[in-house]
Amino acid sequence: MTKRTRIPGKEISKPVYINTRLVNYYWQRTSRNKLAVFGLVFILFLILLALIGPSFTADPTLVDFDEKNMPPVGFTNIKSAYHIDTNEFTTTEIRGTGKHPLGTDGKGRDMLSMLVSGAMVSLQVGLIATGIALIIGTILGVLSAYAGGWVDNILMRFTDIMMTFPFFLLLVLIVFIFGPSLAFIVLAIGLTGWTGTARLVRSEALSLRTREFVTAAKALGATDKRVIFHHLIPNVMSLIIVIATMSIPGVILAEAALSFIGLGDPTVPSWGIILEAGQHSLDTAWWIAVEPGIMLFLTVLAFNFLGDGLRDAFDPRSSV
Amino acid sequence: MGKSWLRVYIIKRLIYAVIIALGILTITFVLVRVGPSSPADKYLANLAAKGQDIAQVTAAIEARYGLDKPIWQQYIDYIGNLLRGNLGWSFSTSMPVIDLIKTHWIYSFQLILLSSIFAAVLGILIGIYSAVKQYTKTDYVFTFLSFIGVSIPSFWLGVMLILVFSVKLGIFKSYYDTALPLFSLENLKALVLPVMTLGTGMLAGYVRYTRSSMLDNLRKGFITTARAKGLPERTVIGKHAFRNALLPLVTIIMFDLGSIVFGGAYLTEIVFGIPGLGQVSFNAIFAHDYPVVMSITLIGTFMVLFINMATDIAYTYLDPRIRYD
Repeated sequence: MTKRTRIPGKEISKPVYINTRLVNYYWQRTSRNKLAVFGLVFILFLILLALIGPSFTADPTLVDFDEKNMPPVGFTNIKSAYHIDTNEFTTTEIRGTGKHPLGTDGKGRDMLSMLVSGAMVSLQVGLIATGIALIIGTILGVLSAYAGGWVDNILMRFTDIMMTFPFFLLLVLIVFIFGPSLAFIVLAIGLTGWTGTARLVRSEALSLRTREFVTAAKALGATDKRVIFHHLIPNVMSLIIVIATMSIPGVILAEAALSFIGLGDPTVPSWGIILEAGQHSLDTAWWIAVEPGIMLFLTVLAFNFLGDGLRDAFDPRSSV
Repeated sequence: MGKSWLRVYIIKRLIYAVIIALGILTITFVLVRVGPSSPADKYLANLAAKGQDIAQVTAAIEARYGLDKPIWQQYIDYIGNLLRGNLGWSFSTSMPVIDLIKTHWIYSFQLILLSSIFAAVLGILIGIYSAVKQYTKTDYVFTFLSFIGVSIPSFWLGVMLILVFSVKLGIFKSYYDTALPLFSLENLKALVLPVMTLGTGMLAGYVRYTRSSMLDNLRKGFITTARAKGLPERTVIGKHAFRNALLPLVTIIMFDLGSIVFGGAYLTEIVFGIPGLGQVSFNAIFAHDYPVVMSITLIGTFMVLFINMATDIAYTYLDPRIRYD
C-alpha cells in the first residue's frame, strides 16, 4: 500500500490544490485570457504595495496645514492665503511636487501614503471577510447536501431567510447596532455574505454525493466526517476558488461603501474614508475623491477579470 | 388542463413566505437584543446633558420600548406592532416612523424605477446585439465596457459625474432639488445623474446576462430549425431566441433588485441628497434614531420577499413547463 505507482489517469482524482499537473493545466487555460493575467498581475502588485509600500512612503497620518490641498505632479491648484500683517488676500498658483507625487488632502497628508495604507485595509477586509464567508458557506452547503432530509430543509430555509435581506441594508443595520470597528465590519460582512456560496456548494455536492468514489469510500468504511472532509470538500475546491475570486470585489466595495456613508472605522484610513472626505472638496481639490476611487475601481476590475478567467478555465465545456 | 395544483402551489408559496417573514423578524429582534447597548442608551447622553435624571429617563424609555417586560413578551409585542403597521416612533424627527416613510418612499421609488427602465431597455438591446455579433469587434468592445460597468463603484461614479458635469461643466446641479414637482421635466433632468449612477452597474450586468442567456439559446436546435424553415433572422432572434432567454433574465433582474439595487439606491440618494428612504436611514444613523434604521432595513427586506414570491407565482403562469405538483 505504501508503494506509489503511477497509474495513468489516477492523479486526476486528486484535488486541485495538490495536483500539480492539473494546476499547470488550469494555469495554461487561465493565462490564455489576457485580461485575467492583467488582473492577477495587478492583484500581486497590490499585495506587494500593501506589504512593503508603507516602509517607502511617508507617514500617512502626518498633518501639515502649510501643504494642504497640494495637487498631484503635473497639475496646478489655486492657493489662497490671507496675510494678517498686510491685511491682504493673495492667490498663488501652486504646482504638484515630487514630495507629494499624488498631492495632499485638506489636512496636508500625503495622498500616496494614505492610498498605500488603504490598500492594506481593502485587502485585509476582502480576504478575511471572504474567507469567513467561504468557510461558513462551504460547511453549510456540504452538510446540507450530505445530510439531506430535515437538516437540509432547515439549513436551506435559513439560507433563504438570510438571502432575502438586501445585503447592504443588513450590513448597515448590523454595523449601526454594534458600532463601527474594522474587525467587526469584517466579521459582519463574513457572517452575512455566505449564502451564495452555501447554495452553489450544496448543488455541486449534491451531484458529487452520488458519484462512485463516494460510494466506494463509504463501502470501504469511511466515516461521514471523512467523506465530507476528504472527498466532498476537496472536490468542490475549484468551485470555491472561483467563488472566492468573484466575491472579493463585492466585499471590498461593501467596506468602502460603509466608510463612505460614515459607518467605517474612523481610526483606519481606508479608501472609502478618503473618498468620503474628498467628495466635499470637489471644487478645491478634486484628486482627493478621484484617486481612492481609481484604486477601488482597478482592484475590483482586477478581481473580476481574474474571476472570469478562472471560471472559464475551470469549466470543461468552455473552449478557452 | 386542471389548474388545481396551481392553487395548492400558491398556498404553499404563501405559507413559505410567512415562515421566511418570521425568520426575518426573529433575526432582527435577536440582533437588537444581543447588541452592545439597549435602544435607550443612545439617547441618555443627550438627555443627561440637558440636566435630567438618568435613572428616571432610562425607566421611561425602557417602559416605552417595553424593555421592562419579559423577553418572550417583547418578542410578541415586536411582531404584533409590525403586523399592525406600527414601526415605532422616530426620535430625531418627532413623528411616527410610518409617516416618515410615507412622505419619503416616492423619491426612492422614482429613482429605482427610472434606473431599472434605463438599465433593462439598454442592457437587453446591447446584450442581444453583442450575442448576435459574437466575437466581432463591437462584441469585444461591449464586453469590455460591461466589465468596467460592473466594476465601477456606484458611489464613486456618482461623485465623478458631479465633478465633471456639475463642478467643471455646470450642466447639472450637484444636489437634488426637493422643491421640484415630481412629474415635471425639471425633476427628470435632476434625476439624470442619479439614474446614471445607479443604472450603470445594473446596465452592465444586464448586458452580460442577456448576452450569455442569448448565446445559450442561439446554440440550440430549435434555432437551427427556425432558420432552416426560412424564417427571417429578425423573427428567429426576436421571437425564438429572445423569448426563451427572457425568463432566466427576469429571474436575475428580480434577484438583483434586492441584492444590489437597494444598496445602490441607498448610496446614490446619499451622494445626490435625494430625500428617499436611503437618505432618511442615513440621517437616522447619525441621530442614533434606531427605529428608523431598523424599519428601513425591514421594508427593503420585505420588498424583496414580496418580489420573490410574486416572481415565482408569475412564472407558473408564464412558463407552461413549470409545474409544481
